Amino acid sequence: MDSTSIIFILIFLLTILLSATETVPMSIAALIGALLTGWFGLQYGVFSYDDALSFIDMRLIALIVGTLIVVEVAEKSGLFRFGALYAVKLSGGNPGRLFVSICVISAAVSMFLSDPTAILLVAAATVTVAKVLNYDPMPYILSGAIMINLGGTSTLIGSASNMIIGVKAGLNFTDFIAYLAICEFALWGLTIFALYMLFRGRLGQKRALPSYNPWESIEDRKLFFRSAIILVLLVVLFLVLENLGVGPEAVALGCAILALVLSSSDPAEIFKRLDWETVFFIAGFLFVVGGLGKTGILNDISTQLLRLTGGSPFKATLVTLWSSGVISMVVSNMAVALTFTPIIGVSTLNSPPVWSALVLGTNLGGAATPLSGSVCMMAIGALKRENISISFREFTKIGLATTLLQLGFASFYLIAWFGLGV
Amino acid sequence: MAKVKKWIKSRTRKPEAEYDEAKKEFEKAIGRPFVSLKIELPTGFEDLRAEFLRLERDAEFHEEVRDLIKKRLMLEKRFRGGKQSP
Repeated sequence: MDSTSIIFILIFLLTILLSATETVPMSIAALIGALLTGWFGLQYGVFSYDDALSFIDMRLIALIVGTLIVVEVAEKSGLFRFGALYAVKLSGGNPGRLFVSICVISAAVSMFLSDPTAILLVAAATVTVAKVLNYDPMPYILSGAIMINLGGTSTLIGSASNMIIGVKAGLNFTDFIAYLAICEFALWGLTIFALYMLFRGRLGQKRALPSYNPWESIEDRKLFFRSAIILVLLVVLFLVLENLGVGPEAVALGCAILALVLSSSDPAEIFKRLDWETVFFIAGFLFVVGGLGKTGILNDISTQLLRLTGGSPFKATLVTLWSSGVISMVVSNMAVALTFTPIIGVSTLNSPPVWSALVLGTNLGGAATPLSGSVCMMAIGALKRENISISFREFTKIGLATTLLQLGFASFYLIAWFGLGV
Repeated sequence: MAKVKKWIKSRTRKPEAEYDEAKKEFEKAIGRPFVSLKIELPTGFEDLRAEFLRLERDAEFHEEVRDLIKKRLMLEKRFRGGKQSP
C-alpha cells in the first residue's frame, strides 16, 4: 500500500470517528473529510477536477430532498399525528393493545418520516398517554424506538441508507418490496412479540382512556387530504413510472413540487425544516468514498472479500449481513451503506441477496446500543425529560437482544428466500 | 469513564423545543386541555411593572384566575342547558 492510499484511509477513518463521536455535527465531519479528500486528491493527482465533480451522485441527493419535502408537507398537515392519535384511541386504554398499537404506528410512520422526527412524534404521544393513564412510559418509548429503527426496511424511501443502496445498486421500489417486504413484516411480528414478553410485567393495569376525536387535531382538513393523496401518489408513481424508465429521483422531485404548490404554505418555511444535516452528510461522505475508490483500495477490499467467501453467494450474503449489521451498531448506517455499496458494486458479489443483506444489516444494526443511532439517544432524552432514566447497560441488554434476534431471523430469511445453498 | 458518561449525556440533549412542540399538540388532544394567554400590562399601570410581572408566578393569582374560569364555564354550561331545552 502506497503513502497516498494511507492518507485517504486516514481521511476516511477521521470522518468516521468525528461523525460517530459527534465531536462536530455529522454533516461538518463529512464536509471536512470531503475538503481533505479534494485537497489531497487534486494535489497528488489521484483524480481530476472532473472526476471529483462526479463523486456526488445528484440522483441520490434529488431523491432524498424530494422525499423530505413531500414528507415535511405531510407532517405539517398533521397526517402522522392523526395516525398516532388514532392508534392510541384504537387501544381503548388496554395496556397490551396500547403497546402493540404504539409499536405498529412507530414502524409505520418511520416508513416515511426520518427516524429523529418519528421518535419525537412517538415519544410525545406516548408520554402524554402514559401520563393520562398513569403508566410507566419507558417500555412503550423504548419499544417505539426499536420499531422505528426497523420500520421502512423494505421500502426504497424507508431510510436514507435504503435510498443510498437503491440508487447505487439500481434497485427500484418494486425490487425492495419483492425482496424484503415479507421479511420486514415477519420482523415486525417477531420484534413486537419479543418486546412484549420482555415488558409484559411493566405495561400497567387497564384504565379507561378519556374520549377524544383525532379529527379535532387537524387544523386544515384540505391540506390533510391533499398530503395523504400526494403520499399515495408518490408510492403509486414509484411503482408505475419505473417501468417507463423514469428514475425514483424524478418521481420524488415531481411530487415535491406538487406538494409545495398544493400545500399553499410558504416554501421557505418548508425548506427551513428539511433535514439538511442528512443531505450534507451524504454529499460529503460520497465525496470521501469517491476519493477512496480512486486509490483502488475499495477494489482491493472487494477482491479480498471475494477470496474470503470463495465466490459463494451463501457466504457473501451472510458476511455482508452480519458485518454491516455489527458495524452499524457503532457507525452511522448511512456511512456503512455509502462504504459498502462501491465494494459490492464492483465485484461479482453484486447480486440481489447480497444487496438485500446490506439493506437488512444497515437498518437492523441501528438500535443495538444507545450510541447506535440518533433514534436511541432521542428516546433516552425524551424519558429523561420525564425524570425517567435508563442506564446504558439496561438499554443495550434490550437493544442488543432484539438486534441479534432480528439479524438471526434475517439470515434464515435470506437463505430461504433466495434459495442459497452452502 | 466520567468523560464518556458526560459525552453520552450531552448526546441526549437533542431538539428539545421540537419535542415540546409535538408534546403540546398531543396534550391538547388526549391530555387535560389547557390555554395559554398573553396579557399585556394595562395602560396607566406602568409604575407597577415589577408587580405585574410577579403575577406570572403568584399561586394566589393563579387560583383567582382558575375560579374566574370556573365561573365562566358554569355560565356556559347554564347557557348551553337553557339553549338545549325546548
